Amino acid sequence: MTNLNPKLQVGISHQYGNLVVHGDIQFAVKENEFLCICGPSGCGKTTLLDILSGLLKPSKGDVLLDGEMVNPKKHSISFVFQEPSTLPWLTVWENIATGLKIKKLKKAEIKQKVEEVIRIVGLGGFEDFYPHQISGGMKQRVSIARAFATNADLILMDEPFVSLDQPTRERMQQEVLDIWKNLKRTIVFVTHNLEEAVFLGDRVIILSEKPTSIKADLPIDLPRPRDPLSIEFTELRARCFSFLHQK
Amino acid sequence: MLSSLFNSSSQKFSPGIKAALLNVLALAVFLLLWQMLAMWVASPFFPPVDGVFKAFKNLLVKGDTQGISLGTHAWASLYRVLLGFNLGVFLGVPLGLLMGLNKSLYNSTRSVMEPFRFIPPIAWIPLAIILFAGDTRFAFLIFLGAFFPVYTSTLVGVQRVEPLHKKVVAVYGASKFYTLMHVVVPTVLPDILGGMRVAMGAAWLTIVAAELAGGINEGLGRMMLNYAELLKIPEIIVGMIVIGAIGFVLNELLLMAERYLFKWRWQVTL
Repeated sequence: MTNLNPKLQVGISHQYGNLVVHGDIQFAVKENEFLCICGPSGCGKTTLLDILSGLLKPSKGDVLLDGEMVNPKKHSISFVFQEPSTLPWLTVWENIATGLKIKKLKKAEIKQKVEEVIRIVGLGGFEDFYPHQISGGMKQRVSIARAFATNADLILMDEPFVSLDQPTRERMQQEVLDIWKNLKRTIVFVTHNLEEAVFLGDRVIILSEKPTSIKADLPIDLPRPRDPLSIEFTELRARCFSFLHQK
Repeated sequence: MLSSLFNSSSQKFSPGIKAALLNVLALAVFLLLWQMLAMWVASPFFPPVDGVFKAFKNLLVKGDTQGISLGTHAWASLYRVLLGFNLGVFLGVPLGLLMGLNKSLYNSTRSVMEPFRFIPPIAWIPLAIILFAGDTRFAFLIFLGAFFPVYTSTLVGVQRVEPLHKKVVAVYGASKFYTLMHVVVPTVLPDILGGMRVAMGAAWLTIVAAELAGGINEGLGRMMLNYAELLKIPEIIVGMIVIGAIGFVLNELLLMAERYLFKWRWQVTL
């Protein structure tokens, strides 16, 4: 294991016209690390993920994935969006296969990978359903399955559970951790929910308001499964909270 | 008692078959009322159902005054409609996609494209008579009637494409062509099919008018006009009914295609 070269190396600043969105943002993510990014609403979290995915060019600086400029055509990147992003004209199976098909994998390989990830996320039996026939939580599970089906170098998640009810949300958080442990991927997970960040992440980055900069970069060295009611957890959450609200 | 009869029948038949039976019933009631009204009025200007049916049989078996059968007339019209309609779809869809995806191209050519939409196909007949002959003339006129509904609904449908759906495939490095075929077209397809049904109506409207304007002996419009000159109303009504029936069947076929293609919209939610 070489920790000298990080999986993802970010050093960017970004602005729309005169509006400075990101001041100077620098961080790195190790291979198979689960990084959570937390910040107040309107601090440009989604824009940051767009930049990390290579879909949006930052005004200055660049994003390096495996030492190369990030590029969706070259790298394998997955994105789980905040809104339900299943394609309504495709079945659950076809939705999950989308990334694999674009990456032009062989049919047999696609079949094997889709079946594997369907089993892991527990969507067995729903392969031929259309998105409008399943619940919101299941739709998000399809999006997550689609993200994990490809051999993604980087998985970006943009508040994927924000529209789910609390019990579903808690279950899905645990599921994402299980899948991540199973399949080993590098994840950048954006949320405005500190508890979610501390529960999931190996590390939490706290962002400021615009112009956005990094206020804190905290390792979360609690063993998993984490108990949100334990003293250590509560203390870490409180630390994150104070950073978030510090002027 | 009646309601119990109705209930038992609703359990016996599937909704589709029940609707079909009710439609047959409605049609029978309509024909019965027509027959009764015609017998009561008893005028040569209001032929009864059996008179029209006799004219239908004669036209089908013996043909018209020139010996051209109803089948030949109907096929001539249908052939022209399908020719022009297909041309309209094959040009309307790609052009609609092109204009819908290129906002600046659409905006800069509006003054050329849009006024054409307001020239009814019928207004093209005089020019078409001079420029074209035979089936080409009819196909041209029907193309004009069918093109714009398809073109316009495709153009509008493209605006419905969700940026998020494009982003879903863009993240995986999808090419422009992939995005077109796997995101844009599936989104627009329902609009295209809707436009095709409107176009089919416009096509029939145009064919009858074009055939009335003359030139050729075959075609339902021509046949009706010939009988109008002879003051033979039953044969005219036969022509009208055949036009309505063919239009109905074509529309049902398009609806069936919609139901098949858009399972993702039609299936009942769990």
